[in-house]
Amino acid sequence: MKRIGADEQALHFQLNERERDALVQILQSYPVLPPAHHVVSKQWPEAQVADYQRLLDEALAEQRAANQQYLQAWLAAPGRFQQKKAWFSLTLDRGDVEWLLQVLNDIRVGNWLLLGSPDFSDTPSEIIEPSLLPTWAGMELSAYFQMNILDALEN
Amino acid sequence: MGPDFFAPLDKRPGKIYFPAMANVAEPLVLPDQEKQTGTKEEKEPGFLVICWNDPVNLMKYVTHVFQKVFGWDLQKAEHHMMQVHEQGRSVLVRASLEKAEFYVHQLQKYALHATMERDA
Repeated sequence: MKRIGADEQALHFQLNERERDALVQILQSYPVLPPAHHVVSKQWPEAQVADYQRLLDEALAEQRAANQQYLQAWLAAPGRFQQKKAWFSLTLDRGDVEWLLQVLNDIRVGNWLLLGSPDFSDTPSEIIEPSLLPTWAGMELSAYFQMNILDALEN
Repeated sequence: MGPDFFAPLDKRPGKIYFPAMANVAEPLVLPDQEKQTGTKEEKEPGFLVICWNDPVNLMKYVTHVFQKVFGWDLQKAEHHMMQVHEQGRSVLVRASLEKAEFYVHQLQKYALHATMERDA
């Protein structure tokens, strides 16, 4: 994946077929992060923050549902990935950048939790059972796309 | 602690709780620390917005989120990101209850590990 252009409205990327398939596949796994992951406070007694926690849970659930709905429409949009000879073009509207970064990080953090929150000083082969390799791949691929988008914003 | 802290949420005038917002596409340019002199905030308890380290988050991503949510420049955002990375947490802002809630919600939308705590 590499940026091939940018203007005021959008960032333009070029992806090979494997990258396109990987991006679509990991996005379709959204949401991965368990709703109970977020807590409003670590120190307040639970009873005192129950209302705040409930409101946070509701707001995040609403956000997750809206993201999911938007994601399906985004992926299904005609010409989302336009084939150009041996590669595909992707136009990412600047208004969608933050949304896509949020979705990708949900996938990354969610997969990391599914792996048991491993320490990154260990190598994957030391910490990951073969059956969890797709989970590890989802975590790493989401980071790959995040980094490409963040780099594209800088340049 | 303010007098209405434990009041039912819908009984507190002027407060907005976790508004259902569109995705943050533009910087939320809000003050990173509310002025504490001669304002209503001085008399109310302060709430700390804290970001905790999840080693899975990319450093560049965390910096980006801080810039977007707080409107900080790169240097300040990187400073707080490094605090999170090296010390396990960073106090991002001290704010009123409603603003602390707002910031925590924004950070959690980005799947960062953020909480609000009462300032001792």
